[in-house]
Amino acid sequence: MTDSMKRRSFLQGAALLGAGMVSKAGAATLPEAPVQGSAATAAPLVPPNGRPYNPVVTLNGWSLPWRMKDGVKEFHLVAEPVVRELAPGMHANLWGYNGQSPGPTIEVVEGDRVRIFVTNKLPEHTSVHWHGQILPNGMDGVSGVTQPSIQPGKTFVYEFVAKHAGTFMYHPHADEMAQMAMGMMGFWVTHPKDPRQHAVDRDFVFLLSAYDIEPGSYTPKVNTMLDFNLWTFNSRVFPAIDPMVVRQGERVRIRAGNLTMTNHPLHVHGHTFEVTGTDGGWVRPSARWPEVTTDVAVGQMRAIEFVADNPGDWAFHCHKSHHTMNAMGHDVPTLIGVDHRGVAEKINKLVPGYMVMGEKGGAMGGMRMPLPENTLPMMTGTGQFGEIEMGGMFTLLKVREGLARGDYRDPGHYRHPKGTVAYEWTGEAPPAPSAPGGKAGRADGALDVRRGGASTGHEGH
Amino acid sequence: MNIKSPLRLTAATAVLLALTGCASFSGDAGMGAIDPLVQARTGAPARTLKTEADRRALDELLQARLAQPLSADGAVEIALLNNRTLQASYWELGIAEADLVQAGRLQNPAFGYQHMRGGGDVSIERTLTFNLVSLITAPLASRIEGRQFEQTRQQVAAEAVQVAADTRRAWVEAVAATQAVEYARQVAGAAEASAELGQRMRQAGNWSAYDQAREQAFYAEAMADVARATQAATAAREHLTRLLGLWGTQAQYRLPERLPELPAAPRDIADVEQRAVRERLDVQAANLATQRTASALGLSRATRFVNVLELGAVRESDGGAKARGYEVTLEIPLFDWGGARTARAEAVYMQAVNRLAATATDARSAARESYQAYRSAYDVARHYRDVVIPLRKKLSDETLLRYNGMLLSTFELLADAREQRSAVNAYVGALKDFWLAESSLETALGGRLPAVVPPSQQGATQ
Ligand SMILES: [Cu+2]
Repeated sequence: MTDSMKRRSFLQGAALLGAGMVSKAGAATLPEAPVQGSAATAAPLVPPNGRPYNPVVTLNGWSLPWRMKDGVKEFHLVAEPVVRELAPGMHANLWGYNGQSPGPTIEVVEGDRVRIFVTNKLPEHTSVHWHGQILPNGMDGVSGVTQPSIQPGKTFVYEFVAKHAGTFMYHPHADEMAQMAMGMMGFWVTHPKDPRQHAVDRDFVFLLSAYDIEPGSYTPKVNTMLDFNLWTFNSRVFPAIDPMVVRQGERVRIRAGNLTMTNHPLHVHGHTFEVTGTDGGWVRPSARWPEVTTDVAVGQMRAIEFVADNPGDWAFHCHKSHHTMNAMGHDVPTLIGVDHRGVAEKINKLVPGYMVMGEKGGAMGGMRMPLPENTLPMMTGTGQFGEIEMGGMFTLLKVREGLARGDYRDPGHYRHPKGTVAYEWTGEAPPAPSAPGGKAGRADGALDVRRGGASTGHEGH
Repeated sequence: MNIKSPLRLTAATAVLLALTGCASFSGDAGMGAIDPLVQARTGAPARTLKTEADRRALDELLQARLAQPLSADGAVEIALLNNRTLQASYWELGIAEADLVQAGRLQNPAFGYQHMRGGGDVSIERTLTFNLVSLITAPLASRIEGRQFEQTRQQVAAEAVQVAADTRRAWVEAVAATQAVEYARQVAGAAEASAELGQRMRQAGNWSAYDQAREQAFYAEAMADVARATQAATAAREHLTRLLGLWGTQAQYRLPERLPELPAAPRDIADVEQRAVRERLDVQAANLATQRTASALGLSRATRFVNVLELGAVRESDGGAKARGYEVTLEIPLFDWGGARTARAEAVYMQAVNRLAATATDARSAARESYQAYRSAYDVARHYRDVVIPLRKKLSDETLLRYNGMLLSTFELLADAREQRSAVNAYVGALKDFWLAESSLETALGGRLPAVVPPSQQGATQ
């Protein structure tokens, strides 16, 4: 391990598995290729040498250490099959870099000369495209166009100057449909030369990716185009996406890149923000406008900034509601309002273990029933007030007073000041009016759609 | 050529006269002769119903057997006693026996007295006529009737064995058909639940008329299947009932709900061919026919100059001519008619020999084929039981897990329930084929095979 590696600290038991990717003979000329085995969020990588910068935090990921050689920052990416924990209880056979998918975040400084060694340990050829970088054509990584593809077992070298500060990513441009569906991607941040420029207190980065992994299987279906069943931040799903923890009053930046095949309206609660950057560069302050949701189109990157002035546990998620769900049946008919009395008993005789679900809505009312192997409940997670009923692209922005600088540890549930939580009306109330015709054609009571149900008859499942 | 002299003939007939006098009725219409044959091949007795006491005994037996769900062995037992067509055949045996006994008895001597008056002359003529022909032909007739009786015995036994096999098969078909009704009802149950849920979906405004109609159509067809299966079960049961000879309240007998389980292992029979040749009644019958024609050939050779038919026609003895003596004249044909008869008998014999060979060849082939079919049926049934059904169960378990994860709907769950039952039904079909194959094997091998150790006792004996 390099000294810089030894100095690194990790959150939640993250650990490097060590180097040794290349032969001893090659080690004399090739930089080390560190490997990450944990899916936990690593602490920011404080630059041990080179120009100073304010490091980013990769949600459930890490940044790639480098070595300086003759004033050039040398990185070593190893493209290889990996097993990624999407959430406890579910693992995916993916392809990634240096032990993880997505690969490590590469952080450099505007003007740095960068040399990246890419070793291909995949069963097929690959290449790396440096999305958004302005570089010599022959370094753009489009196999067949700007270079021959990197065959299995081969190492290629990319070298260019990181000209512009901004938010970028890298991904293959060889069999990219399959390779991106398998998780080949990574974040890239070029920091400004002057660390005070665009400085923020916390800078979170992640990539949006989607997978179609049939429950009971482990490998994504690479031919799926739109009907994915797992929507992820950095190949993680809620409740396994780490919260974004910030101290009240800090300036926060969140950068996201979209490598799925649909757009994702990212929405933050409790704050307004401005889009300050795209993969094209920084947005002039005069061109910014306030948002609480920003749509990240396919192949785009967005950097948003705000001051976390509002303490609490704030939802941060894609606003497409199916994207905040885990694996679910998209052809399951709606059962809301369907009276199951009598039928349920008949079905139970034919299918022992059958439980009625969905007749009062989609919520499972805390039911925990056995599932196929290697999949996750459609909606899951428990908060201090009960079921969160979320999955996929969902996490929490946790704003707290008095956190230490650089402290990213989960502070637990927010303690609401007295009288600031929605409460039940217990006074006298007239019967609530119903819309006319609302009960037409339905058995009595069947229309009482309750969410997070009182789970009558569901106990013990 | 052995030409019997009248004197020797007379001596021989005298001896035979003494011998044939022994032929008498067995008292049970000959059933005593076939009962062991039938029992060995069916596991159940064959008896003629003669008296009220027999009938009462049968009624008691029926009452006892029909108080319980009727087993295959019980059905065979009943059929052998209560199938009236079979009873009619049993009496065939009585007829044959009567013929045999009759053939063994000499015609009674006739005493004639003639008083003639003519021209003032009175002549009184006394004659004692004795059917010499029957005396001569008695041993032959007795032997022929003996063969006839033997043949009838074979036929009746074969018929009883056939009825037993038919009954066993009808029993398997009837029980399987009942199980098929149960299967059809379960499928209809799943379809009914789907249709009912579909109706509720429609009422709640969640489904189109198209979706609802699709589920209803499936249910309607499933109900038609139940009706068809019920009809098939009725037909199968009535077939069995006919074989059992039951009617009235006795026809309301109960059958077991399921076919017997597949034995832990199939029968391993090394000598199917030998067993078939040894045990099969058709082979035995062909063998007897050969022996019969052989002795007929021998007889023809021995009596080629004795025109038995002509002798038989000489009924009247002219007692008037010679009052004090009897003379037997035998016609001795001068043309080679007897030789032709011998040639015919030889041809008949050779025909019988070849028929026996053919029967034996067919029996061997049928034995091999039935045994192969039996083993295959066992393998198929075991495959269903050990592979298909567990896999179907696994699929159902996984379907339920997917339903739990809201990956599949109730309708898919019900569709799977239908498919699972379809697999169970296929297993019942394979099991039915196995038991039918076993019955066919028994028929091909000439009789009941020793019981196979049932699965539950397998451990104790090994
Ligand atoms: Cu989305």
